[in-house]
Amino acid sequence: MTDRHSSIARTPAAQDGNELPLLEATGVARTYRLGKVEVPVLKGADIRIRAGEWVTILGSSGSGKSTLLHLLGGLDRPDAGTVRFRGESISAFSPRRLDRYRNEHVGFVFQFYHLLPELNVLENTVLPATIGVGRWEFARRRAEIRDRARALLDRFGLSHRVRHRPAQLSGGERQRVAIARALMHRPDVLMADEPTGNLDARNGEGILEALAEQHRAGLTIVMVTHDQWIASRADRIVHLADGRVA
Amino acid sequence: MGTYTRLLVRRYLTTRIIPLIAVGAVALCVALVIVVVSVMSGFLENLRSSGRTLMGDVVISRPVQGIPHYGQLVAALEALPEAAAASPLVDTYGLVRMPYPEGRSKDVVTAQVWAIDPESFARVTDFERTIWWKPASDPAEALAMEEDDPRRTLDDGPLKAARAMRDPASGKPGALLGMHVSVVNQRQRDGSYRPRVSHWWMPNHEVTVTLVPISEAGTVSQSNSRSFRVVNEVMSGVFQVDRNRVFIPLADGQEMLRLDEAPIVDTSAEPDADGNLPVIGTSPARATQVLVRARDGVTPTELKSAVEKAYEQFWLSTSADAAVRAKPPAPESVSIMTWEERLRDLIAPVEKERQMMRILFSITYLVCAGLILAIFWAIVSEKTRDVGILRAMGASRAGIMAIFLRYGLAIGIAGSAIGTGIAWLVVRNINAIHMALGEEAPAWAWVSIGLLAMGAAGGAVRSTLRSGALATLLWTVAALGLAGIAFGLASHRGFLIWDPAVYYFATIPSQMDWENARLTCVGAIVFSVLGAAVPAARAADIDPVRALRYE
Repeated sequence: MTDRHSSIARTPAAQDGNELPLLEATGVARTYRLGKVEVPVLKGADIRIRAGEWVTILGSSGSGKSTLLHLLGGLDRPDAGTVRFRGESISAFSPRRLDRYRNEHVGFVFQFYHLLPELNVLENTVLPATIGVGRWEFARRRAEIRDRARALLDRFGLSHRVRHRPAQLSGGERQRVAIARALMHRPDVLMADEPTGNLDARNGEGILEALAEQHRAGLTIVMVTHDQWIASRADRIVHLADGRVA
Repeated sequence: MGTYTRLLVRRYLTTRIIPLIAVGAVALCVALVIVVVSVMSGFLENLRSSGRTLMGDVVISRPVQGIPHYGQLVAALEALPEAAAASPLVDTYGLVRMPYPEGRSKDVVTAQVWAIDPESFARVTDFERTIWWKPASDPAEALAMEEDDPRRTLDDGPLKAARAMRDPASGKPGALLGMHVSVVNQRQRDGSYRPRVSHWWMPNHEVTVTLVPISEAGTVSQSNSRSFRVVNEVMSGVFQVDRNRVFIPLADGQEMLRLDEAPIVDTSAEPDADGNLPVIGTSPARATQVLVRARDGVTPTELKSAVEKAYEQFWLSTSADAAVRAKPPAPESVSIMTWEERLRDLIAPVEKERQMMRILFSITYLVCAGLILAIFWAIVSEKTRDVGILRAMGASRAGIMAIFLRYGLAIGIAGSAIGTGIAWLVVRNINAIHMALGEEAPAWAWVSIGLLAMGAAGGAVRSTLRSGALATLLWTVAALGLAGIAFGLASHRGFLIWDPAVYYFATIPSQMDWENARLTCVGAIVFSVLGAAVPAARAADIDPVRALRYE
C-alpha cells in the first residue's frame, strides 16, 4: 500500500493566487432556526484553501467557524454561496455524492473525540474504510485495511491499546485514535474542530505535533480554534468575525 | 450497504442490556404462541387420529334396518385395491346393568353398544391397542408401572378373552366396557387406573345388556336382555367414547336386535299340523355399519370414492338376482362417509377455535412491535451523536436506517430462536409440568427459594445503607418476587388444569406444531423489523450537524 500523503508535494503557503484551490467557499451564508427565531451564523464568508496548506480558522465563540468547517466538509449545505472542491461545487452534489465526498476526501477530528463507545480502538479506526465498501470488497481488502489501521495506531503510539474501548483511554489517547480514524481512508483534507479544546496543555501539544507531522507529509488541514497560540501553528490564519472573514 | 452496519449491530447487540430485554420479550411472545397453538394443533390431530383409530377410514352406514348380505359387501370391499380390510358391526343404544353396588338394586347406565366381529374389527381399527387390561409388552413398560397397578400381575388371559370376546372358563359371551363406563375405575396421576375397591375390578364381573329391537316399520318391539361376562375394558383416549361405549359380539347384538338370519314364512298359506307357516326363504343377517380401512398411501377420500362404486356394484348385482328376497338398500339410502366427515361436528369447532387463537395471539406481535419501537426510540435518542459521527464519515441515510433495521432483524431472529427453544422444552414436557402443577411443591423447593429471598432482602438492606437507589430497588423487587414464589409454592396444593372430561383426551398433546412455529417466527421477525422501522427512519433523518453538537 502506498501512502498518498507522502506522494503529494507540499504546496507552499504563499503561492500564485491563480492556482486552482483544493477547497473554496464563496459568499457562503447559513442561518439556523432555533424554534421561531432565525440566527444568521455565516453572512457571506469567502475562503480559499490550497492543497497541502494548513489553514486555521480563528474566531470567538459563535463567530461561525465550526459552521464554515461543516460546510467545507460537506456535512451541511449553505443557504447561499458555493463551496467548491477542486473546482466542483459540492453544494450541488446529490445527497449520495455528498456522502461519498465525505467518505473519500474528508477526515473529521472533533473536540470531544466522538469515538463510538461500543467499538474498540481498532474497530473505531477502521470504521471509515468499512463505510465506503461493500461486504465482498471489505472481505477482499480486510488484511490491507487492518494493516493500515494498525500502522496508523502504531504511528500514534497506540499499538498496545487496539483492543481497548474508548472509555478505557485517556483524553489524549482518544484524540489520537480520532486522528488515526480520520486518516484511515487517506483523505485529501483533514477538518479539525478545536482538536485540543478538551485536552490539557501537554496532550494538546502532542495532538498539534501529530497534526504537524501529517501536514509535513503533505496533508491539507483546516483547523478551527479560538486560541491564538494554537492557531499560530498553521501556515495561514483566517479570522472569522460576525459570520464574515475579516 | 457498508460492512459497518453488521459490525455495529453485532456490537450493539452484545454490549448492551436493553436489546436483551427486547430479545426476551420477543422470545416470550413467540414461545407463548407456539405452545398454545401446538397444544391446540395436537388436540385437533388427536381428534383426527382417534377418528381413524376408532372407526377406520370410511364408514358405510344404514341405521336400524341394517344392510343385508354384508358378508358379500365385506368381501367386495376387501377385494378393492384401495382397501386393506373391512368389518361389519351393529351400532345401537342400550342399557347396561352394572354389577355394583352390593344388594339387589344395581346401577344402570345408558351406553352406545357396538356389536362387533373382534377379528375383522381389529384389522380395521386399532381395537387391540385400546384393550387396557393386558400385561406389559416389555420390561421397561413393566418397570414404569406403579406397584399397585393390577396390570403388573396380569397374564395374557384377559387379552385373549378380549380377542375372542368370550369367557374361556364359562364359554359365556364377553363384553368390553369403555374405561369410564364403570364408575369404579379411578384414574391415577400417571394415567393408569385402579378400581376404587379391588373387589370391583370389572373383568371379574358380569353385566346385563338390554337392547330394544326396532322393526322396519319403525315400531319398538319387546326388549331383549342378555348377560355378558366383562372380559376386559378399553381405553381409546377419547373420553366421550370411553364413557359411553360397550362392545359385545356381533352375533349377540344381531340376535338381540333381530338382525340375525331368520326364516321367511308365507303368511298367506295355511299352517301345518304343528301350526307353523311354510318357510319360503331366509332373511339374511344384517349389519348397521361396515367399516373400511384404507391401504397405506390411500387417502380416505380416495377410498370413499372406491367404496361408493363398490357399493353400487354390490347393490346392482344383488338386486338383479331374482333368488335374493331381501334386497340391500339403494346407494342413496346408505351413508358413506370418511371418518373426518363423521367427526365434522367435533373437528370443525376445534379448527375454528385454533384459528381464533391464532388471530387473538397475533396481538402479541403488535406488543412485540410496540415494545421494540419504544426500546429503539430510546436507543436512537441515545445514539444521536453516533449517527452524527457516522454521517461525518460518509454513512448515508439509508446506511443509518439499515443499522437499526438490521438491529430489529437480529432481535427478531434471536428472540424467535430462543422462543422456539423454550416452546419446544415446554411442549415436550407439558404433561410432566402439568403433573407437577397437580402435586404439592416439595419442601426443598420453597425452602431454598425462601432462602434466596432472604439473601435478596439482605442485599436490599446493604444497598440502602450504601445509598444506592437503583440497587436497593432491584434487590427489593427480587426479594419480594422470590418471597412470593416461595409463598406460592408452600401454599400450593395442586390443581388440575387439563380435565379429560372437558378436553376429550387423557393427556395433553405434546407434539410441536413446526409449521405453526415457522409461521410464528416469521411473524415475530417481520413485526420486530416493523417495530424498528419508525426509529430507524427517525435516525436516518437526524441532521448530522445537530447530532454532533448533541449533548
